[in-house]
Amino acid sequence: MTPSLPDILVGNFMCMADPGPPEQQGEFMAGKVGLVALLSLLAAQEAERGVAARVEENVLIRATLDEAAADYGLNADWPATDALTLGALDSVNATLRKALIGLHEAVEAREDWPRHHAILRLYAKMADLRRLDLPPLPAR
Amino acid sequence: MSGLQERLEAYLSRTWRQPVTVADLSRIPGGASRETYRFVARTGEGSRPLILRRDPPGSLIETDRSLEYLALESFHDRVPAPRPVAMEAEGAELERPFFIMERIEGGTVASPFTVMPYGAHARTVGEAFFGILGKIAGAEPADLPLARDGVPAPETCWSMAVDHWAGVIEADEQHPQPIVRAAIRALRRKPPPPPKAVRVVHGDYRGGNFLHDPNGRILAVLDWEMVHLGDPLEDLAWAIDPLWNPFDATTVAAMIPRDEALAIWSQASGLTVDERALSWWSLFAAVKGQAIWTSAAKEYRDGGFKEPILAVSGWYTARRHDEILAAALLRLEDLQ
Repeated sequence: MTPSLPDILVGNFMCMADPGPPEQQGEFMAGKVGLVALLSLLAAQEAERGVAARVEENVLIRATLDEAAADYGLNADWPATDALTLGALDSVNATLRKALIGLHEAVEAREDWPRHHAILRLYAKMADLRRLDLPPLPAR
Repeated sequence: MSGLQERLEAYLSRTWRQPVTVADLSRIPGGASRETYRFVARTGEGSRPLILRRDPPGSLIETDRSLEYLALESFHDRVPAPRPVAMEAEGAELERPFFIMERIEGGTVASPFTVMPYGAHARTVGEAFFGILGKIAGAEPADLPLARDGVPAPETCWSMAVDHWAGVIEADEQHPQPIVRAAIRALRRKPPPPPKAVRVVHGDYRGGNFLHDPNGRILAVLDWEMVHLGDPLEDLAWAIDPLWNPFDATTVAAMIPRDEALAIWSQASGLTVDERALSWWSLFAAVKGQAIWTSAAKEYRDGGFKEPILAVSGWYTARRHDEILAAALLRLEDLQ
Protein backbone atom coordinates (compact mmCIF):
# COMPACT_ATOMS: atom_id res chain seq x y z
CA MET A 1 0.00 0.00 0.00
CA THR A 2 1.11 3.51 -0.62
CA PRO A 3 1.89 5.50 2.53
CA SER A 4 -1.12 6.64 4.53
CA LEU A 5 -1.97 10.29 5.06
CA PRO A 6 -0.70 10.19 8.67
CA ASP A 7 2.55 8.59 7.42
CA ILE A 8 3.05 11.45 4.99
CA LEU A 9 2.33 14.18 7.51
CA VAL A 10 4.50 12.59 10.20
CA GLY A 11 7.21 12.20 7.56
CA ASN A 12 7.02 15.87 6.61
CA PHE A 13 7.77 16.69 10.23
CA MET A 14 10.46 14.03 10.68
CA CYS A 15 12.44 14.95 7.58
CA MET A 16 12.60 18.61 8.55
CA ALA A 17 13.22 18.06 12.26
CA ASP A 18 16.77 16.82 11.70
CA PRO A 19 18.83 19.48 9.87
CA GLY A 20 21.42 16.92 8.72
CA PRO A 21 25.16 17.39 8.18
CA PRO A 22 26.65 20.45 6.44
CA GLU A 23 26.92 18.74 3.05
CA GLN A 24 23.14 18.23 3.06
CA GLN A 25 22.23 21.91 3.36
CA GLY A 26 21.96 24.30 0.41
CA GLU A 27 20.69 22.76 -2.82
CA PHE A 28 19.80 19.43 -1.22
CA MET A 29 17.77 21.06 1.56
CA ALA A 30 16.03 23.30 -1.00
CA GLY A 31 15.07 20.17 -2.93
CA LYS A 32 13.79 18.54 0.24
CA VAL A 33 11.66 21.58 1.06
CA GLY A 34 10.19 21.41 -2.44
CA LEU A 35 9.27 17.76 -1.95
CA VAL A 36 7.69 18.47 1.43
CA ALA A 37 5.66 21.25 -0.18
CA LEU A 38 4.48 18.91 -2.94
CA LEU A 39 3.59 16.22 -0.41
CA SER A 40 1.62 18.76 1.62
CA LEU A 41 -0.39 19.72 -1.44
CA LEU A 42 -1.12 16.07 -2.28
CA ALA A 43 -1.96 15.46 1.38
CA ALA A 44 -4.64 18.16 1.14
CA GLN A 45 -6.25 16.17 -1.70
CA GLU A 46 -6.08 12.98 0.31
CA ALA A 47 -7.56 14.69 3.38
CA GLU A 48 -10.45 15.92 1.24
CA ARG A 49 -11.13 12.75 -0.75
CA GLY A 50 -9.43 9.82 0.99
CA VAL A 51 -12.23 8.66 3.28
CA ALA A 52 -14.93 8.91 0.63
CA ALA A 53 -12.68 7.05 -1.85
CA ARG A 54 -12.14 4.17 0.56
CA VAL A 55 -15.81 3.94 1.50
CA GLU A 56 -16.81 3.77 -2.17
CA GLU A 57 -14.05 1.31 -3.11
CA ASN A 58 -15.05 -1.01 -0.28
CA VAL A 59 -18.70 -0.85 -1.37
CA LEU A 60 -17.77 -1.62 -4.99
CA ILE A 61 -15.48 -4.55 -4.14
CA ARG A 62 -18.05 -5.98 -1.75
CA ALA A 63 -20.72 -5.78 -4.45
CA THR A 64 -18.45 -7.57 -6.93
CA LEU A 65 -17.70 -10.32 -4.41
CA ASP A 66 -21.35 -10.67 -3.41
CA GLU A 67 -22.43 -10.94 -7.03
CA ALA A 68 -19.92 -13.74 -7.68
CA ALA A 69 -20.27 -15.51 -4.35
CA ALA A 70 -22.73 -18.17 -5.45
CA ASP A 71 -20.97 -18.99 -8.74
CA TYR A 72 -17.53 -19.19 -7.17
CA GLY A 73 -18.39 -20.66 -3.77
CA LEU A 74 -17.18 -17.63 -1.84
CA ASN A 75 -17.81 -17.42 1.87
CA ALA A 76 -19.47 -14.01 1.91
CA ASP A 77 -18.58 -12.88 5.41
CA TRP A 78 -16.55 -9.84 4.42
CA PRO A 79 -15.62 -7.51 7.28
CA ALA A 80 -17.25 -4.10 7.59
CA THR A 81 -16.74 -1.04 9.71
CA ASP A 82 -18.77 1.97 10.74
CA ALA A 83 -15.63 3.88 11.64
CA LEU A 84 -14.87 6.59 9.12
CA THR A 85 -11.14 6.63 9.74
CA LEU A 86 -8.50 5.89 7.14
CA GLY A 87 -6.99 3.16 9.32
CA ALA A 88 -10.26 1.31 9.89
CA LEU A 89 -11.30 1.59 6.24
CA ASP A 90 -7.87 0.41 5.03
CA SER A 91 -8.02 -2.59 7.33
CA VAL A 92 -11.34 -3.68 5.81
CA ASN A 93 -10.02 -2.77 2.36
CA ALA A 94 -7.04 -5.11 2.74
CA THR A 95 -9.34 -8.07 3.37
CA LEU A 96 -11.63 -7.13 0.51
CA ARG A 97 -8.74 -6.63 -1.92
CA LYS A 98 -7.29 -10.05 -1.02
CA ALA A 99 -10.66 -11.64 -1.74
CA LEU A 100 -10.90 -9.72 -5.01
CA ILE A 101 -7.48 -10.97 -6.11
CA GLY A 102 -8.58 -14.53 -5.37
CA LEU A 103 -11.84 -14.06 -7.24
CA HIS A 104 -10.10 -12.55 -10.27
CA GLU A 105 -7.64 -15.45 -10.46
CA ALA A 106 -10.56 -17.88 -10.37
CA VAL A 107 -12.46 -15.89 -13.00
CA GLU A 108 -9.46 -15.98 -15.34
CA ALA A 109 -8.94 -19.70 -14.75
CA ARG A 110 -12.59 -20.33 -15.65
CA GLU A 111 -12.32 -17.99 -18.67
CA ASP A 112 -15.36 -16.12 -17.41
CA TRP A 113 -14.71 -13.15 -19.68
CA PRO A 114 -17.79 -11.01 -18.90
CA ARG A 115 -16.88 -11.08 -15.20
CA HIS A 116 -13.20 -10.55 -16.07
CA HIS A 117 -14.16 -7.39 -17.96
CA ALA A 118 -16.33 -6.21 -15.09
CA ILE A 119 -13.40 -6.59 -12.70
CA LEU A 120 -11.10 -4.67 -15.06
CA ARG A 121 -13.65 -1.83 -15.11
CA LEU A 122 -13.72 -1.98 -11.31
CA TYR A 123 -9.91 -1.58 -11.27
CA ALA A 124 -10.17 1.53 -13.41
CA LYS A 125 -12.73 2.96 -11.00
CA MET A 126 -10.57 2.07 -7.98
CA ALA A 127 -7.52 3.75 -9.50
CA ASP A 128 -9.55 6.85 -10.36
CA LEU A 129 -10.99 7.09 -6.84
CA ARG A 130 -7.47 7.16 -5.36
CA ARG A 131 -6.08 9.52 -7.98
CA LEU A 132 -3.73 12.28 -6.84
CA ASP A 133 -3.49 15.34 -9.08
CA LEU A 134 -0.04 16.73 -9.67
CA PRO A 135 0.01 20.53 -9.60
CA PRO A 136 1.16 22.18 -12.86
CA LEU A 137 4.58 23.14 -11.59
CA PRO A 138 6.67 25.21 -14.02
CA ALA A 139 10.06 23.87 -15.10
CA ARG A 140 13.03 25.43 -13.34
CA MET B 1 37.22 10.07 11.29
CA SER B 2 33.58 11.14 11.42
CA GLY B 3 32.41 13.28 8.51
CA LEU B 4 31.99 12.26 4.89
CA GLN B 5 34.58 14.82 3.76
CA GLU B 6 37.25 13.32 6.01
CA ARG B 7 36.38 9.84 4.88
CA LEU B 8 36.63 10.82 1.22
CA GLU B 9 39.99 12.49 1.81
CA ALA B 10 41.30 9.39 3.57
CA TYR B 11 40.10 7.10 0.77
CA LEU B 12 41.42 9.21 -2.09
CA SER B 13 44.76 9.90 -0.38
CA ARG B 14 45.26 6.17 0.13
CA THR B 15 44.23 5.05 -3.34
CA TRP B 16 45.84 7.93 -5.27
CA ARG B 17 49.00 7.66 -3.12
CA GLN B 18 49.24 11.39 -2.55
CA PRO B 19 47.62 13.90 -0.21
CA VAL B 20 44.11 14.78 -1.36
CA THR B 21 41.83 17.42 0.10
CA VAL B 22 38.09 17.49 -0.60
CA ALA B 23 36.31 20.81 -1.10
CA ASP B 24 32.79 21.98 -1.93
CA LEU B 25 31.21 18.69 -0.85
CA SER B 26 27.46 19.03 -1.39
CA ARG B 27 24.65 16.51 -1.71
CA ILE B 28 22.58 16.74 -4.90
CA PRO B 29 18.78 16.48 -4.58
CA GLY B 30 16.86 13.65 -6.25
CA GLY B 31 18.09 10.12 -6.61
CA ALA B 32 15.86 7.90 -4.51
CA SER B 33 18.15 4.91 -4.79
CA ARG B 34 21.59 6.39 -4.14
CA GLU B 35 23.04 9.34 -2.26
CA THR B 36 24.74 11.59 -4.81
CA TYR B 37 27.32 14.25 -3.91
CA ARG B 38 29.40 16.68 -5.92
CA PHE B 39 32.86 17.61 -4.71
CA VAL B 40 36.27 18.78 -5.84
CA ALA B 41 39.36 16.65 -5.16
CA ARG B 42 42.51 18.74 -4.84
CA THR B 43 46.03 17.36 -5.15
CA GLY B 44 49.41 18.91 -5.83
CA GLU B 45 48.67 18.43 -9.51
CA GLY B 46 45.39 20.38 -9.56
CA SER B 47 41.65 20.14 -8.94
CA ARG B 48 39.25 17.51 -10.23
CA PRO B 49 35.44 17.98 -10.12
CA LEU B 50 33.86 14.65 -9.25
CA ILE B 51 30.60 12.96 -8.31
CA LEU B 52 30.22 10.42 -5.50
CA ARG B 53 27.40 7.87 -5.69
CA ARG B 54 26.99 6.12 -2.36
CA ASP B 55 24.52 3.49 -1.19
CA PRO B 56 22.13 4.84 1.44
CA PRO B 57 21.44 2.84 4.62
CA GLY B 58 18.27 1.58 2.90
CA SER B 59 18.20 1.51 -0.89
CA LEU B 60 15.15 1.86 -3.13
CA ILE B 61 16.56 -0.46 -5.75
CA GLU B 62 18.68 -3.42 -4.78
CA THR B 63 21.32 -3.55 -7.46
CA ASP B 64 24.86 -4.68 -7.93
CA ARG B 65 26.89 -1.47 -7.64
CA SER B 66 29.50 -2.86 -9.99
CA LEU B 67 27.00 -3.05 -12.86
CA GLU B 68 26.53 0.72 -12.93
CA TYR B 69 30.28 1.15 -12.94
CA LEU B 70 30.68 -1.37 -15.74
CA ALA B 71 27.93 0.37 -17.71
CA LEU B 72 29.80 3.67 -17.54
CA GLU B 73 33.00 1.87 -18.54
CA SER B 74 31.12 0.38 -21.47
CA PHE B 75 29.38 3.53 -22.69
CA HIS B 76 31.18 6.72 -21.63
CA ASP B 77 32.97 6.87 -24.98
CA ARG B 78 29.92 5.86 -27.04
CA VAL B 79 27.15 8.12 -25.70
CA PRO B 80 27.20 11.16 -23.42
CA ALA B 81 27.91 9.61 -20.02
CA PRO B 82 30.33 10.30 -17.17
CA ARG B 83 33.72 8.57 -17.13
CA PRO B 84 34.01 6.26 -14.09
CA VAL B 85 36.93 6.89 -11.71
CA ALA B 86 36.79 4.42 -8.81
CA MET B 87 34.50 1.87 -7.21
CA GLU B 88 34.45 0.19 -3.81
CA ALA B 89 31.86 -2.55 -3.51
CA GLU B 90 32.68 -3.03 0.17
CA GLY B 91 32.66 0.66 1.02
CA ALA B 92 36.23 0.98 2.35
CA GLU B 93 36.64 4.26 4.29
CA LEU B 94 33.08 5.34 3.33
CA GLU B 95 31.58 2.25 5.00
CA ARG B 96 28.90 1.76 2.36
CA PRO B 97 29.36 0.72 -1.29
CA PHE B 98 30.11 3.66 -3.56
CA PHE B 99 31.67 4.75 -6.78
CA ILE B 100 33.16 7.97 -8.05
CA MET B 101 32.80 9.39 -11.55
CA GLU B 102 33.85 12.51 -13.36
CA ARG B 103 31.52 15.49 -13.08
CA ILE B 104 30.05 16.95 -16.24
CA GLU B 105 29.53 20.69 -15.90
CA GLY B 106 27.06 23.10 -17.43
CA GLY B 107 23.86 21.08 -17.49
CA THR B 108 20.62 20.73 -15.62
CA VAL B 109 18.36 17.79 -14.85
CA ALA B 110 14.74 18.67 -15.63
CA SER B 111 12.03 17.05 -13.55
CA PRO B 112 9.55 15.15 -15.73
CA PHE B 113 6.81 16.20 -13.31
CA THR B 114 6.81 19.82 -14.43
CA VAL B 115 4.95 21.54 -17.27
CA MET B 116 7.08 21.74 -20.45
CA PRO B 117 10.26 20.60 -18.71
CA TYR B 118 12.42 21.38 -21.77
CA GLY B 119 10.69 24.60 -22.82
CA ALA B 120 11.40 25.61 -26.41
CA HIS B 121 14.04 22.87 -26.74
CA ALA B 122 11.69 19.90 -26.41
CA ARG B 123 12.28 18.79 -30.00
CA THR B 124 16.07 19.11 -29.78
CA VAL B 125 16.10 17.19 -26.51
CA GLY B 126 13.70 14.57 -27.85
CA GLU B 127 15.71 13.87 -30.99
CA ALA B 128 18.86 13.46 -28.93
CA PHE B 129 17.11 11.48 -26.19
CA PHE B 130 15.68 8.82 -28.51
CA GLY B 131 18.78 8.84 -30.69
CA ILE B 132 21.02 8.08 -27.71
CA LEU B 133 18.68 5.35 -26.53
CA GLY B 134 18.87 3.88 -30.03
CA LYS B 135 22.68 3.95 -29.86
CA ILE B 136 22.60 2.06 -26.56
CA ALA B 137 20.21 -0.47 -28.10
CA GLY B 138 22.38 -0.73 -31.20
CA ALA B 139 25.57 -1.63 -29.34
CA GLU B 140 26.64 -5.24 -29.65
CA PRO B 141 26.88 -6.33 -26.01
CA ALA B 142 29.24 -9.29 -26.33
CA ASP B 143 32.33 -7.10 -26.51
CA LEU B 144 31.38 -4.76 -23.64
CA PRO B 145 32.68 -5.03 -20.05
CA LEU B 146 29.03 -5.20 -19.04
CA ALA B 147 28.67 -8.63 -20.64
CA ARG B 148 31.28 -10.28 -18.40
CA ASP B 149 28.65 -12.66 -16.97
CA GLY B 150 27.28 -13.72 -20.34
CA VAL B 151 24.33 -12.80 -22.54
CA PRO B 152 20.86 -14.22 -21.80
CA ALA B 153 18.97 -16.20 -24.43
CA PRO B 154 16.42 -13.99 -26.26
CA GLU B 155 13.46 -16.18 -25.33
CA THR B 156 14.22 -15.76 -21.60
CA CYS B 157 14.31 -11.94 -21.53
CA TRP B 158 10.63 -11.42 -20.79
CA SER B 159 10.32 -14.07 -18.07
CA MET B 160 13.51 -12.95 -16.30
CA ALA B 161 12.14 -9.42 -16.20
CA VAL B 162 8.65 -10.36 -15.01
CA ASP B 163 9.90 -12.84 -12.42
CA HIS B 164 12.30 -10.30 -10.97
CA TRP B 165 9.81 -7.48 -10.51
CA ALA B 166 6.92 -9.73 -9.48
CA GLY B 167 9.26 -11.02 -6.78
CA VAL B 168 9.95 -7.48 -5.60
CA ILE B 169 6.22 -6.83 -5.24
CA GLU B 170 5.75 -10.13 -3.43
CA ALA B 171 8.54 -9.26 -1.00
CA ASP B 172 7.73 -5.60 -0.31
CA GLU B 173 3.96 -5.27 -0.66
CA GLN B 174 2.31 -3.92 2.49
CA HIS B 175 -1.29 -3.79 1.21
CA PRO B 176 -2.90 -6.04 -1.42
CA GLN B 177 -2.54 -4.64 -4.96
CA PRO B 178 -5.06 -6.35 -7.24
CA ILE B 179 -4.39 -4.15 -10.28
CA VAL B 180 -0.68 -4.86 -10.64
CA ARG B 181 -1.23 -8.54 -9.85
CA ALA B 182 -3.77 -8.75 -12.69
CA ALA B 183 -1.23 -7.09 -14.97
CA ILE B 184 1.46 -9.62 -14.01
CA ARG B 185 -0.90 -12.48 -14.85
CA ALA B 186 -1.76 -10.80 -18.17
CA LEU B 187 1.93 -10.52 -19.03
CA ARG B 188 2.48 -14.20 -18.31
CA ARG B 189 -0.60 -15.30 -20.28
CA LYS B 190 0.59 -13.69 -23.51
CA PRO B 191 4.40 -13.41 -23.63
CA PRO B 192 5.99 -11.13 -26.23
CA PRO B 193 7.93 -12.43 -29.21
CA PRO B 194 11.64 -12.78 -28.36
CA PRO B 195 13.85 -9.83 -29.36
CA LYS B 196 15.74 -10.05 -32.63
CA ALA B 197 18.84 -9.20 -30.61
CA VAL B 198 19.64 -9.10 -26.89
CA ARG B 199 21.08 -5.71 -26.09
CA VAL B 200 22.07 -3.45 -23.19
CA VAL B 201 19.06 -2.13 -21.30
CA HIS B 202 19.81 1.04 -19.32
CA GLY B 203 16.95 0.14 -16.99
CA ASP B 204 15.87 3.67 -16.00
CA TYR B 205 16.13 5.69 -19.22
CA ARG B 206 13.64 8.54 -18.84
CA GLY B 207 13.15 12.23 -18.31
CA GLY B 208 14.87 13.25 -15.09
CA ASN B 209 17.84 10.96 -15.65
CA PHE B 210 19.95 13.05 -17.99
CA LEU B 211 21.74 16.37 -18.03
CA HIS B 212 21.06 18.83 -20.83
CA ASP B 213 22.55 22.23 -21.58
CA PRO B 214 20.62 25.50 -22.13
CA ASN B 215 20.40 24.76 -25.88
CA GLY B 216 18.84 21.33 -25.41
CA ARG B 217 22.01 19.30 -26.04
CA ILE B 218 22.19 16.19 -23.88
CA LEU B 219 25.45 16.21 -21.91
CA ALA B 220 25.16 13.01 -19.90
CA VAL B 221 22.89 10.03 -19.41
CA LEU B 222 22.79 9.25 -15.70
CA ASP B 223 21.54 6.65 -13.22
CA TRP B 224 22.62 3.38 -14.82
CA GLU B 225 22.06 1.35 -11.64
CA MET B 226 19.39 -0.91 -13.17
CA VAL B 227 21.42 -1.70 -16.29
CA HIS B 228 21.24 -5.27 -17.60
CA LEU B 229 21.12 -7.23 -20.82
CA GLY B 230 17.69 -7.92 -22.26
CA ASP B 231 15.10 -6.90 -24.82
CA PRO B 232 15.88 -3.33 -25.96
CA LEU B 233 12.17 -2.59 -26.18
CA GLU B 234 12.14 -2.65 -22.36
CA ASP B 235 14.00 0.68 -22.33
CA LEU B 236 11.89 2.18 -25.10
CA ALA B 237 8.65 1.28 -23.31
CA TRP B 238 9.94 2.73 -20.02
CA ALA B 239 11.05 5.95 -21.71
CA ILE B 240 7.60 6.55 -23.22
CA ASP B 241 5.58 5.44 -20.19
CA PRO B 242 2.81 8.02 -19.54
CA LEU B 243 4.08 8.47 -15.97
CA TRP B 244 6.94 10.59 -17.30
CA ASN B 245 4.67 12.93 -19.21
CA PRO B 246 1.77 14.07 -17.00
CA PHE B 247 0.80 17.25 -18.84
CA ASP B 248 1.03 16.65 -22.62
CA ALA B 249 -0.86 13.81 -24.32
CA THR B 250 0.45 14.78 -27.77
CA THR B 251 4.06 13.76 -27.08
CA VAL B 252 6.06 11.06 -25.34
CA ALA B 253 8.45 11.97 -22.53
CA ALA B 254 7.18 15.58 -22.94
CA MET B 255 9.43 15.82 -25.99
CA ILE B 256 8.17 14.72 -29.43
CA PRO B 257 5.26 12.71 -30.89
CA ARG B 258 5.40 8.95 -30.37
CA ASP B 259 5.83 7.96 -34.02
CA GLU B 260 8.77 10.32 -34.43
CA ALA B 261 10.41 8.99 -31.26
CA LEU B 262 10.09 5.40 -32.46
CA ALA B 263 11.44 6.29 -35.91
CA ILE B 264 14.50 8.01 -34.42
CA TRP B 265 15.11 5.04 -32.12
CA SER B 266 14.82 2.58 -35.02
CA GLN B 267 17.21 4.51 -37.20
CA ALA B 268 19.82 4.87 -34.44
CA SER B 269 19.56 1.27 -33.25
CA GLY B 270 19.15 -0.48 -36.59
CA LEU B 271 16.25 -2.37 -35.01
CA THR B 272 12.60 -2.39 -36.00
CA VAL B 273 9.81 -1.81 -33.51
CA ASP B 274 7.34 -4.67 -33.24
CA GLU B 275 4.20 -2.87 -31.97
CA ARG B 276 2.82 -6.06 -30.41
CA ALA B 277 6.03 -6.56 -28.47
CA LEU B 278 6.16 -2.88 -27.51
CA SER B 279 2.60 -3.12 -26.19
CA TRP B 280 3.67 -6.01 -23.96
CA TRP B 281 6.76 -4.13 -22.75
CA SER B 282 4.63 -1.04 -22.10
CA LEU B 283 2.41 -3.00 -19.72
CA PHE B 284 5.56 -4.45 -18.21
CA ALA B 285 6.98 -0.94 -17.71
CA ALA B 286 4.03 -0.02 -15.51
CA VAL B 287 4.43 -3.27 -13.54
CA LYS B 288 8.12 -2.56 -13.05
CA GLY B 289 7.28 0.97 -11.94
CA GLN B 290 4.73 -0.28 -9.48
CA ALA B 291 7.31 -2.70 -8.07
CA ILE B 292 9.80 0.13 -7.56
CA TRP B 293 7.17 2.30 -5.90
CA THR B 294 6.12 -0.60 -3.69
CA SER B 295 9.71 -0.85 -2.48
CA ALA B 296 9.84 2.91 -2.02
CA ALA B 297 6.80 2.81 0.26
CA LYS B 298 8.39 0.06 2.32
CA GLU B 299 11.71 1.91 2.55
CA TYR B 300 9.89 5.08 3.55
CA ARG B 301 8.23 3.26 6.44
CA ASP B 302 11.30 1.24 7.43
CA GLY B 303 13.42 4.40 7.41
CA GLY B 304 11.16 6.27 9.80
CA PHE B 305 9.45 8.46 7.16
CA LYS B 306 12.54 10.66 6.82
CA GLU B 307 13.11 10.64 3.07
CA PRO B 308 10.41 12.65 1.25
CA ILE B 309 11.62 11.43 -2.16
CA LEU B 310 10.56 7.94 -1.08
CA ALA B 311 7.16 9.30 -0.06
CA VAL B 312 6.60 10.84 -3.50
CA SER B 313 7.73 7.61 -5.17
CA GLY B 314 5.69 5.39 -2.91
CA TRP B 315 2.59 7.54 -3.07
CA TYR B 316 1.98 9.78 -6.11
CA THR B 317 3.80 7.61 -8.63
CA ALA B 318 2.25 4.41 -7.25
CA ARG B 319 -1.25 5.86 -7.55
CA ARG B 320 -0.49 7.13 -11.06
CA HIS B 321 0.84 3.76 -12.18
CA ASP B 322 -2.32 2.07 -10.90
CA GLU B 323 -4.27 4.38 -13.24
CA ILE B 324 -1.92 3.59 -16.13
CA LEU B 325 -2.10 -0.16 -15.45
CA ALA B 326 -5.87 -0.19 -15.19
CA ALA B 327 -6.21 1.68 -18.49
CA ALA B 328 -3.73 -0.65 -20.19
CA LEU B 329 -5.59 -3.74 -18.97
CA LEU B 330 -8.82 -2.36 -20.46
CA ARG B 331 -7.06 -1.64 -23.77
CA LEU B 332 -5.78 -5.20 -23.93
CA GLU B 333 -9.40 -6.35 -23.97
CA ASP B 334 -10.51 -3.60 -26.36
CA LEU B 335 -12.56 -2.06 -23.56
CA GLN B 336 -12.88 1.60 -22.64
